[in-house]
Amino acid sequence: MTLLIEPDLGTPPSTGVDLVTVEVDGTSVDVPQGTSVMRAAAIAGFAVPKLCATDTLDAFGSCRLCLVEIEGRPGTPASCTTPVTPGMRVTTESPRLQRLRRGVMELYISDHPLDCLTCPANGDCELQDMAGVVGLRDVRYGYAGENHLDAPIDTSNPYFDFDASKCIVCSRCVRACDDIQGTFALTISGRGFDSKVSPGVHEPFFDSECVSCGACVQVCPTSTLQEKTVIEIGVPTRTVLTTCAYCGVGCSFKAELKGNQVVRMVPYKDGGANEGHSCVKGRFAWGYATHAERITKPMVREKTSDPWREVSWEEAIAFAADGFKRIQAEHGRDSIGGITSSRCTNEEVFVLQKMIRAGFHNNNVDTCARVCHSPTGYGLKTTLGTSAGTQAFSSVEKADVILVIGANPTDGHPVFASRMKRRLRQGAQLVVIDPRLIDLVRSPHIEATHHLPLLPGSNVAVINAMAHVVVTEDLVDREFVRDRCEDFDVWAEFVARPENSPEAAATVSGVDPQELRAAARLYASAANAAIYYGLGVTEHSQGSTMVIGLANLAMATGNLGREGVGVNPLRGQNNVQGSCDMGSFPHELSGYRHLSDVVARTMFEERWGVDIDPEPGLRIPNMLSAAVDGTFRGLFIQGEDIAQSDPNTQHVTAALDNMDLVVLQDLFLNETSKYAHVFLPGTSFLEKDGTFTNAERRINRVRPVMSPVPGKDEWQVACDLAHAMGYEMGYTDASQIMDEIAAVTPTFAGVSFEMLDRLGGVQWPCNDIAPEGTPTMHVDGFVRGKGRFVETPFVATDERTTRKFPLILTTGRILTQYNVGAQTRRTPNVAWHPEDVLEIHPSDAEMRGVSTGDRVRLESRIGATTLHAVVSERVPLGVVYTTFHHPTTGANVVTTEYSDWATNCPEYKVTAVQVSPATRELTADEAMARADISAVATPVGP
Amino acid sequence: MTGLVQDVLRMGNQISAQFRHLPGPDAASAVANHISLFWESRLQDDLFALVDDGDLDLDPILVDAVARLRTV
Repeated sequence: MTLLIEPDLGTPPSTGVDLVTVEVDGTSVDVPQGTSVMRAAAIAGFAVPKLCATDTLDAFGSCRLCLVEIEGRPGTPASCTTPVTPGMRVTTESPRLQRLRRGVMELYISDHPLDCLTCPANGDCELQDMAGVVGLRDVRYGYAGENHLDAPIDTSNPYFDFDASKCIVCSRCVRACDDIQGTFALTISGRGFDSKVSPGVHEPFFDSECVSCGACVQVCPTSTLQEKTVIEIGVPTRTVLTTCAYCGVGCSFKAELKGNQVVRMVPYKDGGANEGHSCVKGRFAWGYATHAERITKPMVREKTSDPWREVSWEEAIAFAADGFKRIQAEHGRDSIGGITSSRCTNEEVFVLQKMIRAGFHNNNVDTCARVCHSPTGYGLKTTLGTSAGTQAFSSVEKADVILVIGANPTDGHPVFASRMKRRLRQGAQLVVIDPRLIDLVRSPHIEATHHLPLLPGSNVAVINAMAHVVVTEDLVDREFVRDRCEDFDVWAEFVARPENSPEAAATVSGVDPQELRAAARLYASAANAAIYYGLGVTEHSQGSTMVIGLANLAMATGNLGREGVGVNPLRGQNNVQGSCDMGSFPHELSGYRHLSDVVARTMFEERWGVDIDPEPGLRIPNMLSAAVDGTFRGLFIQGEDIAQSDPNTQHVTAALDNMDLVVLQDLFLNETSKYAHVFLPGTSFLEKDGTFTNAERRINRVRPVMSPVPGKDEWQVACDLAHAMGYEMGYTDASQIMDEIAAVTPTFAGVSFEMLDRLGGVQWPCNDIAPEGTPTMHVDGFVRGKGRFVETPFVATDERTTRKFPLILTTGRILTQYNVGAQTRRTPNVAWHPEDVLEIHPSDAEMRGVSTGDRVRLESRIGATTLHAVVSERVPLGVVYTTFHHPTTGANVVTTEYSDWATNCPEYKVTAVQVSPATRELTADEAMARADISAVATPVGP
Repeated sequence: MTGLVQDVLRMGNQISAQFRHLPGPDAASAVANHISLFWESRLQDDLFALVDDGDLDLDPILVDAVARLRTV
């Protein structure tokens, strides 16, 4: 497609329902009440000149370029701030208006560099466009007067420059930062002629509160805020619509290119998940796709101590297949398996699990969702009937009370966090349940009504206590429960017991009972209350129990089945939902149908022409333990660095080291590749053709911007390996895979590439009943029929603090980095987060003689690492916190083997540790051993 | 004790603890059902072996669940 220029109607759509008829330049148009004259004119086909207005921001009325004449009204009102009225007759062009607009433009241009031909925004500048539209031919004031042409350029941000000499002070950037992003990092300082955009208090962008979401750059009508890539490369000439490959928000982006070179990624206004907004990762941190360390040729080696040897695809596939067949011949059919990746498309995941079930002839397939949201699948299926969140992201705009638990959206899911903050600024109330003082607890114009800083490991005690308040204070939605749920009485009797009271919970959670009671009342009394949760819920020994507890609470208060409510998992990776949907778990086929479902299994057997084992296969942790035992000896890993991301690194590496064959498909050599025998180069999201399914069940198209750099799509590699193992798949195009997914998966029955290209992203279920998808689940009834209340007794984790390990370590993410950092560490994002650090409470730090910046030793019963300390009251007494983005830190060296009782999701969030001043830095050899290996680095890409 | 057997003992006892609130037969039945739905056969075999060996660390509910699994 040529460059996609999205129409800008000047002001946002009105939420008015009644239509108003107006006449613009003689053309009649019907628009919703409350629509601006500017927008009505644009809809009628008459674009009113504008500079400070754009339809992603509320009207501001400062530039005075959009003046119009309205019959019967004096003067020339600004069309952006004037709402239509019935029968209004508007004139957008007249000699008077033209004279006025030229006068406005003269003033702007008298203080603007006249360097259009060499300006980075040449051809993509609204000021330039408007000068042309108003017919500016001269500036009567000349250019010698006082001006801002010598204003310095701020190049401090790694991704964009701020050239104040080109600023027209339209405030679009300030308003975007305030209204869209919600960070309030920018302001207009000074008055009159001295007015200028200022990050923070006259700070460089990099040093300010700016989170580099790019909203300001996107709305800037000139080249004042400009992507460095545009400055370096030039303006793009064509667009490919695709989907971000970072978090589970799944933002739609316009990949803007010149030839085959990506110039910039611009968030797509019509993207249902993000509606034109972005974060620093999706907007800017895509350079890893062409990083010099990318591996583009298949490699093999007999032993992991051997150097890698580049080989042809044919040799690599034969090497892997021969190895897998040999292992199965010697150790049995179940001695090999594979892991699918949430960073891959639905099509790639579906084909890989099919390769394992049909080509390996076993069910030893699992997915990296095992270590993040597998409890969501178990908990929501048990209570509501399906393994997915209940709402669209837009639903939060109708929430009156928002309960955020075990999630840090401003860092982990920033684009959704911006939506949430907008709703909070409108007056919705917020309850945060989290050990840490996350940004949502208190940030500009946001303050949680209640923050319950529970101790890690006490989630279930707290949610039971909230349910206790709901039941004992008669806050139950009796009608909802009676009509739509079952097993309520047993559950209600359970939560009403004294041991589930807030006062009892306080002994294990540390949460003030009165504050908890108030939070529960607030949630239960709201017209619409919505729950949003993350890995702070799932990555516990009672992760599944906690998800059930959240569903219980929502059902008891009637907060399901409409907009503004629901139970909403915030998925970590772009395709966690999809990888689970596609039958990646060892016990179920696509669409969450258990292997024991004879009808479903038979359907797959007939279609695939193989027998499928009706017994579940091994989960990832079990594969690793079986490898230590020697009964599991070969593993295919699709895009996951388990040696860095999975808990108890020593156990993981011992298991990998014990296997006869490890085949890794990835972009870069990583911690896991140290133990691999075959490396198959993978494709970045810029090369993939397929779909991702985000946390709101939205199936979005991922379209290739360039050909697969390694020469093969990842699904083709799985087909080739299956073929070499004796099973034919025979797809020639990714759309055929989606067609098969739709044919065998009831919730995807109506989905095809053609349909997605036509409608944009759709939310499953998408079938005959809901041909355009289902934004809100469980509207007229639950997927399982009646919503099921399930008792959730609190069982403390076996991981306990001791005199030797008196602190609790909990882990999480930071905004600028992503998971194990394989992508973000290969971008300028490292400028913000060059290393993982340990947050420690001032009292705990003082007791240990630790100050900010000190190197400290972090030790658990499993292992130890060292990292720098940051003394901070963001963590409570007795709790320390770190991230796991850098292999040199290796946070999972200290995490344990404990996991969720139902799903084996690791208990990353609770590890008993000790912190002490480090007696020495890591040696160079130790640091090297932890660092990514890039022994074979092949420059790729344009 | 290493590898899967260690997992099996920990996981089996953990599951039993989650269903302990249920009346006796129901608890064992729930544990057996969970293991049947989600455990690969070599985990179940290791669990059976632990019971046969009379491992004293096994939760009684788990032992009862194994008896039920063996009748399936």
